[in-house]
Amino acid sequence: MSVKVNRRKFLKMLGWGGAGTALTGCDLPTTVTLEEGKEEVVSYLMPEEYAIPGIGVWYASTCTQCDSACGIHGRVREGRVLKLEGNPDSPISNGKSCPMGQAAVQGHYNPDRITSPMMRKGNSLQAVSWDEAMSALTSKVGPDSGVKGDRVGMITGSVSGHQSVVIDELLSQVGSKNHYVHEVVNTSVWSAVCRDMLGDDMPRLNYDKAGVILSFGADFLGTWISPVHNMGEYAKFRSGARGTLIQVEPKMTLTGGNADHWVPAAPGTEGALALGIANFILEKGWNTMEVPNSVRKSLAQYNLDAVEKVTGVSVNKIKRIASLLSERAPSLVIAGDSAGNHENGYDAVASIMLLNLILGNVGNTIEASAKFPEKSLRAKRGNTKDLLLLSKALKDNKLDVLISYNTNPVYTAPAVLQVAEGLSGVGFKVAFSAFPDETTLKADLILPIHSGMEDWGTHVPAYQPADESVMTLQQPLMEPIHKETRGFGDIMLSLLKLHNKDYEKFADYYSYLQAAVANMPADVTGGVSGPSKDLWTNTLQKGIVKAKAAANALAPKLVDMRFKVQRDDSGYPMHLIPSARLGMWDGRHANIPWLQEFPDQIAKVVWSSWAEVHPKTASKLGVKNGDYVRVTSASGSIEAQVYIHKGIHPDAVAVPMGQGHEEHGRYAKGRGVNPLKILNPLMERRTGELATHATRVKVTNVHKHEVLVHLGGSETQMGRRFVRTISADQLRRTEGEA
Amino acid sequence: MQVERRTLLRKLVCSLRGRMRMKTVTIKQLLSLSVLAFVVSMLPAKSYAELPVPAHITPPVGEHESPVVPQPIEFPHDRHVNDMKINCMYCHTYARRSQVAGIPPTSKCMGCHKVIATDKPRIQKLTEYWENKESPKWLKVHDVPDYVHFTHEKHIRKFVFDAKFPVEDVQQVCGLCHGEVRSMTVAEKKKPLNMGFCQRCHEANGGPGDCWACHK
Repeated sequence: MSVKVNRRKFLKMLGWGGAGTALTGCDLPTTVTLEEGKEEVVSYLMPEEYAIPGIGVWYASTCTQCDSACGIHGRVREGRVLKLEGNPDSPISNGKSCPMGQAAVQGHYNPDRITSPMMRKGNSLQAVSWDEAMSALTSKVGPDSGVKGDRVGMITGSVSGHQSVVIDELLSQVGSKNHYVHEVVNTSVWSAVCRDMLGDDMPRLNYDKAGVILSFGADFLGTWISPVHNMGEYAKFRSGARGTLIQVEPKMTLTGGNADHWVPAAPGTEGALALGIANFILEKGWNTMEVPNSVRKSLAQYNLDAVEKVTGVSVNKIKRIASLLSERAPSLVIAGDSAGNHENGYDAVASIMLLNLILGNVGNTIEASAKFPEKSLRAKRGNTKDLLLLSKALKDNKLDVLISYNTNPVYTAPAVLQVAEGLSGVGFKVAFSAFPDETTLKADLILPIHSGMEDWGTHVPAYQPADESVMTLQQPLMEPIHKETRGFGDIMLSLLKLHNKDYEKFADYYSYLQAAVANMPADVTGGVSGPSKDLWTNTLQKGIVKAKAAANALAPKLVDMRFKVQRDDSGYPMHLIPSARLGMWDGRHANIPWLQEFPDQIAKVVWSSWAEVHPKTASKLGVKNGDYVRVTSASGSIEAQVYIHKGIHPDAVAVPMGQGHEEHGRYAKGRGVNPLKILNPLMERRTGELATHATRVKVTNVHKHEVLVHLGGSETQMGRRFVRTISADQLRRTEGEA
Repeated sequence: MQVERRTLLRKLVCSLRGRMRMKTVTIKQLLSLSVLAFVVSMLPAKSYAELPVPAHITPPVGEHESPVVPQPIEFPHDRHVNDMKINCMYCHTYARRSQVAGIPPTSKCMGCHKVIATDKPRIQKLTEYWENKESPKWLKVHDVPDYVHFTHEKHIRKFVFDAKFPVEDVQQVCGLCHGEVRSMTVAEKKKPLNMGFCQRCHEANGGPGDCWACHK
């Protein structure tokens, strides 16, 4: 008699068998992960009352993974920081955090941290003592260095709070005005337009009040201004009366992926589309603010047909966007890097801002922000204009000493700017750095600094979303892991003491901050409302300082807009989009394995670079997913595997920023390609920013294939209808839509 | 006064060694010594009774033998527990509050040993640590794999506080998993602490049987 075993029975038998095996195994001695007799357990010497081994204590601090300055809470157990979460008292993070914040601990415990000062001797960097390192530094930027002040420069990432103050102070003592503040992921063009048209370079955006958001390439859920804050506001915008999100961009970002309408206008024509929409709104009389006749007249050339021709966005679509903007008022219109980082980026963003003016959004969904009262503490936001200025100064051999901190221009600068080559002409380069990145390893003196979780600091967020402005405190979450690292503020303070005896009263940067916070004006409170007896204790506890801001209102005005679509017939038919994303950011996080493993939100690729192209472009090139293509600009070429996706304009190729490191530790080095390297040195005309989205390229098939490592495998449901969908047209026909 | 077998044996061996060194030992003496040794070995092995098992607990079953882990200081648990009658939770104060019982902070050791037994080499070594502002680097003796979430706090709560078991007898509860610590110098692993050992106790005493109660 044969026993019929079907699948269900088979699994059942397997289950019992498995359980039986497992139970016998329960009494076998465990052989995995046991550390008996091996691992050390070290007790506290003298514990604090509240420190209980095994139970975490949460301290308030500030995340330093990007320049948004989110308030965080760090869980510390047995003297080690284990987990970061958002600080609910911080109006920036509102108790939330992003993947970069979550992964910050892997930067802190990174095995490639620099653990001792190093100095270039001959051709190699050698470990030296702090005494030797500091005397070398003092000989160049000390009081009697003999180096002319204007030949000393400092390049940093975005900086604010008291770190900014000590940098300013040191440079003024040395007699230098060369502070270059550099970030590739920035909002400089937007800020310039806001300053000129609204009178506030970082206005507060009320996403939650808007009925419709029209975003021209502003990836506000990913990389734009203050992503964690934006995500919370976006959730409010989508709940209740669900707001409509329209995203105009050539390459789908995380925000684009969330949009109701994703509109791939031809790259660089965003301004024309905005003016077309404005023209249509004015024609229909849907505007709430009147514009001078001259403006009306100049807008008339942007009639629907002309705009359709330039942008590739159909007349119907433009009409629909315009009617949505007026029907679901108030609206909010914003612009990000794919609109602003062109040679005519300022005009494009100004055209986009015009929509806010005529739709009456100013004072409604766009308001004046609360500015932190003490000006010297306010954020200096990084840009790419300073990178261009630095490259010029290097070319003209204007610097003898260059100090770098929290930025990596050798990696982020396009190859044609020759920043790496220019640096070799600088006699003495100092890097304050925790990681051996490209810029750091070019230095003559490396000063290993504490990680963001070991150091003291204050940060004033550039984007202030609350009625009261805030400064957030960065306090160490644990003792430094490495004995030979020092705090950035401590090193700066020891230099300042040599210049100015007034600083000698501060034993260290901690006591300097303590005194600085204690001397804040009376209306500054330590995170709790109302006057406080002990501002410093409150600040430590809550992690923030709140300050009343002067009443401020926006003063909208029109600027001279000369938007013109750029033509290019140079034999480079495609637009290169060096896309940024939450995770890798500008490449600074490529040394964090969790973030390498964290798939791109759209392409789902991990641990590598790719070139994203439209299916039409792919079929023209004759490539499939995983094939290698060469992307060539006038300034160089890179090779990457193709990822085919509908969410990109057929004339564009997107290569993400972040990979292609030559240094930066074991996880980052030699992985993928860096699209920034092949950018042409084009400048946004009005702001002097690097036009990162203006480079034209050609894409060629190199006939090489490897499996593209990405999550998800298939882009379709293979007809299995897990998620049932109907087309928007069908929905409109059958359900009707307002 | 009770005589400890171990102490007597030690004394015996020492005297024998000394005499052998001096070559003054005779056959007669050797014989009498061996008789004495036999008599001593017949004395009870422990100077105290077996730890009673608390009535409200069905003890977990399983034994374990592993080599003694060498520690920076040969800490005498026997002296503290047995002779001084110090409660386990006086030093392992975190057991009732946290997942780990914790090694007592060095400041706690010094609380007594600033004045007590300062002439003993082990205490002098401890004092040296203290003066260098360091804690001894003990080696782990009891460990469960990283995928096991064990918490002392819940076990102490159930078996001691909720059961209204007298706290002064807590070593009877601790001993179920840690063995007769009062007869050890440095801690030794005497129970297997593997899944079968835990599971049988959970079944017998109404502990959770879900996988994720421990594996999370």
